[in-house]
Amino acid sequence: MASTSAPKRSLVLQRRETVVSYLFLLPALFFFVGFVLTPMAMGVVTSFTDSSFQNTNTGSNFVFLDNYIRLFQDPIFLKSAVNTVIIVVVAVPTVTAFSLWVGSAIYKMHAAARSFFRCVFYLPVVTGSVAVVVVWKWMFDKYNGLFNYVIRAMGGEGLMWTESEQMALWCIILILFTTSIGQPIVLYVSALGNVDNSLVEAAQVDGATDLQVFWKIKWPSIMPTTLYVAVITTINSFQCFALIQLLTSGGPNYSTSTVMYYLYEIAFRTTKEFGYADAMGVVLAIVIALFSALQFKVMNGGTTE
Amino acid sequence: MKKMKRFLALALTMTMVLALAACGGSKEETPADGSEAPAEGVTEITWWAFPTFGVDSGYEQQLADAFMAANSDVKVNVEIIDFTSGADALTSAITAGTAPDILFDAPGRIIEYGNAGNLVPLDDMIESLKSDLTSESLLETCMGADGSYYMYPISSSPFYMGLNKEMLEESGAIQYVNLEGDRTWTTDDFVKMCETLRDAGVCMTPGIVYCGGQGGDQGTRALVNNLYSSSIVGADGKWNVDENGVKALELLKSMYDSKALDAGFSMAAADELQQFQQETCAMTFCWGTSNAISYASEDFTQISVPFPSDDGVPELEYLVNGFCVFDNGDSAKAEASKRFIAFICDDAEWGPKSVVQTGAFPVRASYGNLYEGNEEMSLLASWSQYYGPYYNTLSGFAAMRPLWFNMLQQVFNGTPAADAAAAFNTDSNA
Repeated sequence: MASTSAPKRSLVLQRRETVVSYLFLLPALFFFVGFVLTPMAMGVVTSFTDSSFQNTNTGSNFVFLDNYIRLFQDPIFLKSAVNTVIIVVVAVPTVTAFSLWVGSAIYKMHAAARSFFRCVFYLPVVTGSVAVVVVWKWMFDKYNGLFNYVIRAMGGEGLMWTESEQMALWCIILILFTTSIGQPIVLYVSALGNVDNSLVEAAQVDGATDLQVFWKIKWPSIMPTTLYVAVITTINSFQCFALIQLLTSGGPNYSTSTVMYYLYEIAFRTTKEFGYADAMGVVLAIVIALFSALQFKVMNGGTTE
Repeated sequence: MKKMKRFLALALTMTMVLALAACGGSKEETPADGSEAPAEGVTEITWWAFPTFGVDSGYEQQLADAFMAANSDVKVNVEIIDFTSGADALTSAITAGTAPDILFDAPGRIIEYGNAGNLVPLDDMIESLKSDLTSESLLETCMGADGSYYMYPISSSPFYMGLNKEMLEESGAIQYVNLEGDRTWTTDDFVKMCETLRDAGVCMTPGIVYCGGQGGDQGTRALVNNLYSSSIVGADGKWNVDENGVKALELLKSMYDSKALDAGFSMAAADELQQFQQETCAMTFCWGTSNAISYASEDFTQISVPFPSDDGVPELEYLVNGFCVFDNGDSAKAEASKRFIAFICDDAEWGPKSVVQTGAFPVRASYGNLYEGNEEMSLLASWSQYYGPYYNTLSGFAAMRPLWFNMLQQVFNGTPAADAAAAFNTDSNA
């Protein structure tokens, strides 16, 4: 008797637990569907229409792939796309490598020193982006800025910084870098602290050098963290917007315009063509998804198997 | 233990249900601002106002309170929006169908909303105002593409240049500035003034032609258009930088190369005004009655001058402040909104007071000189004779603006002015 009632009981319990689990998921699911999936679907549908502010009341027409064809004939979009790729290609490896380096350097330190460095690097993350950009804007000011003040004090001639087509994008990348490294450093410190010390000690006993210990023991152990850092930094870099809007408005001559910023300009500032802007959003989402998938593939989904 | 678990599960489920219920809206709920729901028969209207009456002045609420005291059948909710994010908030609200009932703004946006069919025509209100306007040209600023009037104006003021008097005196450049009469002056004198300032080295740069954004871009357009009496709009009503405009761009480029002027590639008007206030430069191209208050400085004397032109007769850009009523499908709200607007603009007590609060000049001739005894304001009011054609309500204005500042950037970066202007003419009319 006992042997037949046990599986039944287990099934009932399992079903009940499943129901409870779904109930717990319900609020999150509600928000996910309402505020993520539905707008995404609406965005995709709108990208195939000529929806704009001008025809809000009269209704929009289905234009098939016209918006997508127009995208690849729009020189400003193409320039913005190139700028976006430059930001991602430069920012992601440097943020990941620098965070790993800092994390490796501070995770063995005394708790107080470790906390101090974590605070220092995390400060730009918790500071509002407007405040951060205002400070950088002042430092980059070609007349009264800190950088040019120092250069002039040393007898040099002030630089153009964000005023120059050649330098502006690098200024943006520098600010993005400082605001992006905080979280990866905290994650790396935590991940490196969780590496199994017995493996490290065993490798050292076997005569492994520090470099070998890092590449053979620590690196594989922190691979999931590295994958997370790479994917998140990639997404954030692709979606870089606020600091461009606040610092350069995409200029000079669109040299700092990104897809995200150009999308905003089209949707809210200039022609207010929502369909065209949504087409940019869809292309951006596809590219981000492809980049993320590529990173998963290259890093074996965060494992070393 | 089992009972305890059941109780916990029930409690958690109830919490989730309540959380979901809290997300839903209810028409009977207390308004978000904590105010009480309107009583039966009371029409509730919402007014979105850019801070044209002054930042944190509280004047909007005073107006609403005074109106509600005299009109117990209307409840006015005041919401202040800022110039940075207000335009985006309006676009979102209009497309989402949650537009306010009244907006206090300028013609550029209002006529755009009217042309898109989002506003209630105010022809009946304008009809009674026509005979009392200080200038006939004000009417065109309020008219949409379909010939209906969508804005009810209250005040206007010109945009002009501001100069640092002490720097001009110290450098000797003051000799080129006309401080007599209506202060009109020529392009030649402007160039000499800038060169003298540069040679004297009294400031880091004589002036900054800002071109990093569209904020305050009317200043740079006025500068270019006046230098050789050109216009940004052709005879056919299309955007057009003509030959004289190209000549003006070439002059600015040569002044940039000789350091008689600088270019602000990442600066909008607000940044340039700050540099003027900090005495980095000796002039601003975005001076006006409002900015003269916002960027006032006790460290130096600010002189207002019109833009210089080759013939000494400027054509000034000007601002018109006014109201519009959104068509939210409720005639009672539209009617109440019109009454409130008429109260703000035309009430014997609050009308003139509101004009003064904007820091501008009345569009109603019957209000006379509201700045009696103030020589500076009387001078500025007289510049209405130099008001140029108003183009902010033309089709494609919003799309033209980013092309304008990018064209300036290209010219300063070495693109031949004629090529940059040709590209601007093509793209802005596309």
